[in-house]
Order: sequence, then C-alpha cells, then structure tokens
Amino acid sequence: MFGLPLITIAVVGGAFILILLALLYWALTFQEVPA
Amino acid sequence: MIDPLAGILVAIYFIGMVAIGVWASKKINNMSDYVVAGRSLDFWVFTMLMIGSVCSGMSLLGVSGLGFKFAWPTIWEQLAVPLSIAVCIIFFGVKMHTIAKSCGYMTVQDYFAHRFESDTSLRGMSAVAGIIVSMIYLAGQYTAISIVLMWLFGLPHWLALLIGALIVTIYTVIGGLYAVAWTTLIQGLILIIGVLIMAPIVIMAAGGFTQINEAMAVVNPVNVDPWASGAGAVFTPEYIFSFILLLTLGLACAPHVINNVLCVKDVRIFKWAPLIGFGVYAVVMFLLKFAGFAGIVLVKDGIVTLPKVPNASDFIFVYGVQAALPSMFLWGIFAVIVLAAVMSTTDRLMLTIGTYFSWDIYKKILKPEAPEKQVLLVSQISVFVAAVVTLLLALNPPDMLVWLIWAGLGIMYATFAVPLLAGLYWRRATREGALASMALGLIASLGFGAVSYFKLGTLPMHFSFYAFVIAVVAMIVVSYLTSPTSEKVLDETMTGWYIRK
Repeated sequence: MFGLPLITIAVVGGAFILILLALLYWALTFQEVPA
Repeated sequence: MIDPLAGILVAIYFIGMVAIGVWASKKINNMSDYVVAGRSLDFWVFTMLMIGSVCSGMSLLGVSGLGFKFAWPTIWEQLAVPLSIAVCIIFFGVKMHTIAKSCGYMTVQDYFAHRFESDTSLRGMSAVAGIIVSMIYLAGQYTAISIVLMWLFGLPHWLALLIGALIVTIYTVIGGLYAVAWTTLIQGLILIIGVLIMAPIVIMAAGGFTQINEAMAVVNPVNVDPWASGAGAVFTPEYIFSFILLLTLGLACAPHVINNVLCVKDVRIFKWAPLIGFGVYAVVMFLLKFAGFAGIVLVKDGIVTLPKVPNASDFIFVYGVQAALPSMFLWGIFAVIVLAAVMSTTDRLMLTIGTYFSWDIYKKILKPEAPEKQVLLVSQISVFVAAVVTLLLALNPPDMLVWLIWAGLGIMYATFAVPLLAGLYWRRATREGALASMALGLIASLGFGAVSYFKLGTLPMHFSFYAFVIAVVAMIVVSYLTSPTSEKVLDETMTGWYIRK
C-alpha cells in the first residue's frame, strides 16, 4: 500500500495511533479540580 | 531574484510582527509581565506557543533535508518532536505550573533553587548552561532565516541575517513574552496553513505519495524501511531509540520550551493541549518529511538541482517549492512561512537567554537588592546582547543546519532532563546529585558530541544518549551518598511518584 512495505505502515501507523489514544485518555481522565 | 510583490509581502509580515511588539509593550509593567506574560495565556495562545517554540528552522528546512538524505528511516522524528509537546505538558508542566503559581516562579531555575535548596550554585549552573545551549540553538535558527532571505532576494548572508535578527530582536526586546506569545499565534497559523498548502504541491510535483515511495525504493530499498541496517547505516534501530529519546525528552526540557508552562492562566488548559499540540504538529511534520522525500525524486529526475553548498540538503524544500510553483509571488508567501517558523523559535530563545541572565544571574545571584524596574531593563538589554552575540556566531554557517541544532538539543537533553525528572518524581534526589548530574551531563555531552562530530570514534547511538546515561548514574549514586532534602521542601515542591494528586 502507498508503495511501502507493510512493516513500515504497521509500525509507524501503529505508534501514531497509540500516541493519539494515550493522549485522548489523558484528556478524558483529566480532573479539572484535583480530588 | 527580487520580485516587488514578494518583497511587499515579506515587508508586511515584518511590520505586522513589530506592530504586535509595540502593542505588547504597553502591557509590560513588571518582570512577571515581561517573563511569563502575567501568567495570562489561554488555551490557543499557549498551545500555539508550544508548537511555535518546538517548531523551528529545523522543522521546515532541516526535517525535509533529513528526509531527503536518509528517507523513511528518519520518520520517527515526525512522532518524537510533536510528542515532546505532550511530554513537556504532562510530565513537567502540570506539576511545575501548580508549584509555580503558588510560589511565584519566573523561571525553571526558581524551581531548581527551591527543590534542591540551592539558591546560587545549582541556579547559576543551570542558568549558565541554559544560556550557552540556547545560544547554540539560536545560531542554528539564524542560519535558516539566512537561507530563505538569500534564496528569495539574493541578499548576502550577513545582510539576510541582520534583517531577520533585527525584526525579532525589536519585538522581543520591547514586548517580552506577551509579544513572543502573540506573534507566535500568528506565526503558528501561517506555518500550519502554509505547510498544509505548500507541502502537498511539492509532493504532487514529484508524482504523488505512492509514486515517490516506489521511486525511492528503486534508488535504494532501505529508503522505504522503518529503519536502516547494514554497514554504514545511520538510522539503525538502536540509533532510532536514542534519537526518539533525544527529541522527545530533549525538546520537552529545553529552556525555551519548558518555561512556557509557567505562563498559562489555569492548569485546566493542560487537559486538551497535549492532544491538540501533538495532533496538529504531527500532521505538519509528516507533510514536511514527505516533501523531503519528494525532493529525492525531483533531484533524481533532474527537475531540481541543489546549490553546491555544504548544507545543500537543507535547501531541498525551498528548491522543491521553487520547482513546483511558477510564481515569484508564491515564493514570497513561502518565504513568510519559513520566516514565521524560524522566528517563532528565535524570539522564545532570545527571551529565555535574557530572562536567565537578568533574573537568575543578575537579580538572584549578583544583585539581589536590585529594584524591579532595573531588572526589567537588564532583561531587555540581555535579549539585545544575546541577539548580537548569536548573530556573530551565525555569520559562519554550519556544514548542515540540522546537525548544529542537534548538538544544542543533545546538550540540553543531557544537562536538564535528569535533574528535572528526578527533582519532580524522586524524593531521594539531592542537591549534590542534581549538581553532579547537570555538570557531568553537560561535560559528557560536549565530549561525546565532539567524538561524533570530529569522527574520533564510532558511536552506534546518538552521542547525547551516552551523556544522558552518565547523568542518570551521577544523579542516583551522588544522591544516595548525600543527605536527603528536607521533607518540608519535598512537600512544598510536590515531589513524588505522581503527576497530580
């Protein structure tokens, strides 16, 4: 796909999505007023 | 190649930046206004300030240049650099901002002085190290300004540098962080929109994304792999590991980036800023790297011929735009985009150097009784002197822009990352441990940097990683050999294995 080996798409795309999900988790669990 | 319309466009941009500086100068009443914008930054101004501080000449010229030289194995840069924004906010910013607001910190050195009970030695060492590495980094930025102005207007190197430096210096000196933050908001918007338009044009000129990858694979199959291997390969898996750590942690703790977290209005801004900062900047970074890949095809097909200069790869995006866009006026727009990216980092670096000298060295060490107005004046003079000194440094351009910036970044990483992380999260970290870690990290990074630069030996990982390991060992060993910090200070500085309680 895109003229790239599968491993390139898998590791780069996977890392990108993983970071996005982690930062989304941070935002959704951030307590505006600390307990 | 002087086009009147392009000249007018660049002139409007310069005048706009100075106008913001004049507007900002009216808001400056004390050091807090000048250094941390009265802790008034809201979500977008702060998020864009973080992007603008991280996004430098390296991002536009060096990133494409690196992609042009080493292709896909360098793609990790596209994740690591935007990630540094999130790492800085989450692991340093949340805690640091909360303490800073209650204790009135102006700089990170105020935190070091408090946490490690060292109002002179650690503060002084950190400030001096911060000034030196910021100057190295700043000299690299100037070179990027010069590349653009030389290309667009055919100006001599010294004149191009002088014009670019003059504009940044004027608005930074008079407007402090208010000017830096608000100009960066504009510069950030120009940069993001500009790259979203310009990079795809260059990619399309080379035949599109898929065709570029196929053409790169024909030149060398390793070009489309996620890492390189074999004799002489640079971006091997172990090198990439050290490279990611360098960019992510090094930029996160860089003086011109981390001090931004002290300027926000409220800690709630840190809720979405990591995701937005990472997401927006990652898209920009990927596009820039793909434009560098496009350059491989454009050069191979003879559409682009790079100048015969030592840092020719740094010109690839500039020459790619020139080949893809037939209009000098559009080149003027492109010049403004590059200038916006470079200036958004340059101004923050200048202000950081000025603040470190005036606040941490002059006010806190040399002349504690100095009145606030005098310290403010010293700040402004320091920013000006920093601009002049780095301008003189930049008059002899480096072999390759990105390598110079990396040297500065590697030194920042080895010097500041360990004392910051250990200070915030490890209660056993002591003043002596921090001093040893910072001093050895600085010296080791200079040593390993020299080994790497002058090819005195083969280093399988980025030079800064070895210095970082030495800094970690120094922190642990020396801290265990010395008396712990008082519990009162540890509680005041929220030290412990948590981000937020």
